[in-house]
Amino acid sequence: MNVNGTPTSGPVEQPEKRLLDLLRDDLGLTGAKEGCGRGECGACTVLIDGVAVLSCITLAARVDGEVTTIEGLGEDADKLRAAFADHGAFQCGFCTPGQIVRCIALLAQGLPEDDHELRRQMSGNICRCTGYVGIMAALREADGREPQDVQQ
Amino acid sequence: MTATEPRVGAVQAKSGPASPIGMRVRNLDWEAKTGGLADYVGDLQLPNMLHARLVRSVHAHANIRGVDTTAAEAVDGVIAIVTAADFDNARYTHHGGPLADRTVLAGTKVRYVGEEIAGVAAETAVAANQAAGLVTVDYELLEGAFDFDSARHPKASQIHEDKSGNVAMHIERHWGESGTGTKSVAASGVYTFARQTHACMEPNSVVANWNGDTGHLDVWISTQSPYLVRKELAGVLSLAPEQIDIHEIAVGGGFGSKSKISEFEAVACKLSMKSGRPVRLVLTREEEFGTTKARHNAQIELATEATAEGRILSRQAKVAIENGAYNHSGPSVMGYGTLVLGSFYRTDRVDIEADLIYTNKHPGGQFRGYGSPQVTFAIESQMDELAEALNIDPIEIRIRNANQAGDVSHTGWKIDSARLVECLEAARDAIDWDNKRKLKGSGRGVGLAAAIHVSGAFIYEDANRSASTIDVTADGTIIVRFGGADAGTWQKTLLAQFAATELNVAPEEVSVITMDTATTPRDLGAWSSRGTYMSGHAVAASGKAMRDRLLSLAADALGEHTSDLRLADHRVIGATGSRSFAELATQGGVDGVLTITKEVELDIEPLDPMTGLANFSGAYSFAVQAVEVDVDSDTGKVTVLDAISVHDSGVVVNPIGFESQVIGGMAMGLGAALGEELLYEQGRPINPSYLNYPLPRAADLPPIRPLSVQGEDPHGPYGAKAVGEIVLIPTAAAVANAVAHATGVRIRELPLTPDRVLGALRQDQAQSRSYGLAGRPSRWWIAGIRSLYPRGLQKVLHRYGTLFGRVHDAQPIEQILSPTSIEDASVALKGGAAPLAGGTDLLPARNQGLVEATTLVDLCTIPGLATVAVNDGALRIGASVRLTKLESGLNAEMFGGAVPAEARLIAMAATRIASPQVRSMATVAGNLCQQKRCWFYRNDFNCFKRGGTTCPCYAVDGDHRFYHAAVGAHRCQAVTPSDLATAFSTLDAMVIIARSTGQRQSVSMSSFYTGPGETALADGDIITAIEVQLPSLETTDGLHSLAGYQKLNLWEGDFAVVSAAVALRLDESKVIRHAAISVGALAPEPLRLASIEKALVGHRPDRVKLRSNLDALWSKIGHPLRNNEWKLDAATGVVLHAFDDAIASE
Repeated sequence: MNVNGTPTSGPVEQPEKRLLDLLRDDLGLTGAKEGCGRGECGACTVLIDGVAVLSCITLAARVDGEVTTIEGLGEDADKLRAAFADHGAFQCGFCTPGQIVRCIALLAQGLPEDDHELRRQMSGNICRCTGYVGIMAALREADGREPQDVQQ
Repeated sequence: MTATEPRVGAVQAKSGPASPIGMRVRNLDWEAKTGGLADYVGDLQLPNMLHARLVRSVHAHANIRGVDTTAAEAVDGVIAIVTAADFDNARYTHHGGPLADRTVLAGTKVRYVGEEIAGVAAETAVAANQAAGLVTVDYELLEGAFDFDSARHPKASQIHEDKSGNVAMHIERHWGESGTGTKSVAASGVYTFARQTHACMEPNSVVANWNGDTGHLDVWISTQSPYLVRKELAGVLSLAPEQIDIHEIAVGGGFGSKSKISEFEAVACKLSMKSGRPVRLVLTREEEFGTTKARHNAQIELATEATAEGRILSRQAKVAIENGAYNHSGPSVMGYGTLVLGSFYRTDRVDIEADLIYTNKHPGGQFRGYGSPQVTFAIESQMDELAEALNIDPIEIRIRNANQAGDVSHTGWKIDSARLVECLEAARDAIDWDNKRKLKGSGRGVGLAAAIHVSGAFIYEDANRSASTIDVTADGTIIVRFGGADAGTWQKTLLAQFAATELNVAPEEVSVITMDTATTPRDLGAWSSRGTYMSGHAVAASGKAMRDRLLSLAADALGEHTSDLRLADHRVIGATGSRSFAELATQGGVDGVLTITKEVELDIEPLDPMTGLANFSGAYSFAVQAVEVDVDSDTGKVTVLDAISVHDSGVVVNPIGFESQVIGGMAMGLGAALGEELLYEQGRPINPSYLNYPLPRAADLPPIRPLSVQGEDPHGPYGAKAVGEIVLIPTAAAVANAVAHATGVRIRELPLTPDRVLGALRQDQAQSRSYGLAGRPSRWWIAGIRSLYPRGLQKVLHRYGTLFGRVHDAQPIEQILSPTSIEDASVALKGGAAPLAGGTDLLPARNQGLVEATTLVDLCTIPGLATVAVNDGALRIGASVRLTKLESGLNAEMFGGAVPAEARLIAMAATRIASPQVRSMATVAGNLCQQKRCWFYRNDFNCFKRGGTTCPCYAVDGDHRFYHAAVGAHRCQAVTPSDLATAFSTLDAMVIIARSTGQRQSVSMSSFYTGPGETALADGDIITAIEVQLPSLETTDGLHSLAGYQKLNLWEGDFAVVSAAVALRLDESKVIRHAAISVGALAPEPLRLASIEKALVGHRPDRVKLRSNLDALWSKIGHPLRNNEWKLDAATGVVLHAFDDAIASE
């Protein structure tokens, strides 16, 4: 596999190793977080070949392809990250790497027109702090649109 | 006074000398937090660090006869173990005196399932977990009490020796006196508020590092209050506070859960002291849900008398608060609740009786709102009930009783500023109240509720003080240092804004250090909404002092008067010249640093715990929340369509932070109103996971709108008041009031889950259904067993094993095979390996002890199983096709035209499954084969399916309202969780199986399941594809297909509570020629409604007839458990909705 563009070998002697552990413990990429360890909260979200997946229930030995973590998003995410800041899309920040990685995958696909569908597509990333309005507004802005989620 | 609606998203351009107060400043940590670069405790790596795990009680109430750590010590890699003996009976101070009832680890007695008994530190997490599972405790079981009634029963076991009747505390208050008004109306009711949990995204975590040579402890804790924690740690570790330093670290949410000390911190410290190495302890998510300090659930009997104009004469309350097993914050939570009862609204007299009751559950603790959400739910529900009785508008009645500026409440609260009336008026406009009130009784409605809250509270020694330090360095750096923490509250950014205001610089130009006890002056931390208020005053003081110092230094240097100088651009400027801050620091500082520390002491009164009287806060904030709801009278589901939160929090210091806090807080309030509840079975947590806890996901909420009424508080720093906790205080009442408006039914029990709402809507209707069990001999055995459970059968069958007793993680995976042929895979599976596809169920199930195999067979490496193709009028879906492909990949080209209704039905079912990430990983076959999701089965209850026929099914008597069967269950009450199964059942899909014999076989969906989530697959069998006929592609019979899918659940992505897949074929005159209806999550397997289908055929769609046929059907085939009969009614609703969708899709 490649992690953020760097070739990385899988855990040869540790088939039980999760991708999350390989990223955090072996590669020092601690952006992806363990919120639950059961694939329920989204805090561990990373991209594999551009698809948002849960690294806490992904076995590292099975990973083949491009793994992208929050640290590896580069300039493509700058607009989204600034929008997160301007719209109060984070507070404690623990879910934020997972949110942003998931957002990037969604932006690449194209955001749904419908706001409820957009929220559904973000419902795999729990946030206990913000109530999601800021995240939705940041997504629309990063997509070059006026935030519709906010009623004026 | 009009409300201004801070526009989310618009950053106000900085033009001219704009004050940082009120400025939309980006969170200071935005780059780190959006870049994944902020370090939380779990991200720390110290050399030689050990991993720790707690050993927890498996019993709710027991004496400890002995703790044997021998086997645990022998585990390879274990370095240190601590037990109660290591702490020498030291107790936490908490609220001091007789209220201090807690030691770090249980020594002689355990009082709740999950209570901490020992701690293990080892080289690896695996070793620590293994060793923790090997610590043996010799228990002498005692009777447990799990609710108010059983705890207060005269024969109840005493949980604490010195508290008879399990009453931890009793308060009686009589405030005010009867006035001269004439009573015209009275309302009374019993209101219950459930137990929620904070569910912070970051679990409680600590890294402790003891240096034996220097006798110094360095600690990193996810905490809101480092100084409070340090004080307690010093006490239980027998160290001087100066020997302990707590360091700055990012904190992933608190909401109160991290505002005092818990138990894991001291355990980690002691393990480090014993081993001489750094120790990290991070709670698992199950521990977070099942053992941390929850919201205190409460029962409040409230009676209010009012005049004909609605003015409140008297308020009488009888309050019961469930403490859990230890005091923690119970006394002060209950105390604060009584103060709110005494102070909220103008009243003539208030009489309160309150009891804090011990039970054998993990204790309640500090949680945002702190007793006020509970009492406000009662007060604000009853305000609407009074309004209704008097025929007064609910906003009007509140205006008539509103606290006003200048009031002093019965409890001594000096309310200097109050814009409650303005908030009410603003809410009226913002929710379009006058129009929406016309919706009364229509199923849609609006409701509103108000709240009051403190801005900090003088309830501990020194809580009226706060300090901050400002440094200006020789290179011009400005630093603010403050002892409280920022758990996501924007504390750090506010500190920069305050300092920037005093020194006339930009907030981005100020650096901030928080939390670090070695380098910050003392502040007691973030709780009781004191952050903005205390830090604002503290930095105003140190900032002004620094300003004065800079002016004075510059005055000397320039030979001018300070009054002729001004600060700008990091310089002090006079008529004759200027000096930069850097120069002044070089000149006037110590080693080139100017440092000033100021402590402020507020002019507030310490709370008198005997009377409750004191003006113990500097300011009081107000808020009004309003919601518009839709109540589905067929399913009981409440959907919030619109939500606003209007605040009098004085001056808003940072609108971005304010809006985010308000929206997030109201979201948390909506979660508590509509679904969140911790559930137990005899004191054991049933639902300790995000999966089974309906906190709101993005799609569960509307865009919540935050609003602020402008105005200053005369004593608030820069005119500000608090906002952190009030944000969820009125929410539950607002929702209950909206539901009452929409339906005419008043519900006083939270949460407003569909079962409760539907039950309330139906309580006036005809008596409950009869199931004719006397005439159904096949059900007699089951009915008999069920009736014996509460009579002792369950006790006989029940054996212990809990989440906290079993070695939690499975044996490590030894091998992952990657076969490239079905035959090779089959051989491996027959050899005992477990099949692995997406892994979204297998991997968690392994950790739940449900799959023992350590060799996995990757079925996704078998070629040819991941395609979707249309052949001969049938859709063939490969077993390894990911759910996202079904959700959005069945497109028109595949079918040579429009997407047929059958394919749309599959997509509709697929898109409701789990989350987008899970749908990208999970496969079709995996979804069909996933194990039952019964929360007893999944959470280590040793049930019939796990332990065999001599074990009980816990769902018979346990909480079975949502996810268990109401039709056709036998010894197991679980259901098949797969949504695809329901859709495929309707479509008469065939499951193509490669049998281990080498044969290929097609099995119909109706024969595929042999039990809930149990399939007809034998060892070595592998699903290769699902085949679905597409009659839509048949164009010669003149029929067209319609389909609809509906799923009732508690949160977006949740498993079905009940679902329905409807497929119809109609002719040109709209007569139904074929009908297929399958209901999911109602019976152990997907339930085809053959008789309903038959009755539909040959007629045009008639939903009235359909409804009555469904209702009659449940009488024939239903056999609900005691509390899930509502699911049959909800099923009628869900089928009707799916039917309607199908017809409408024409």
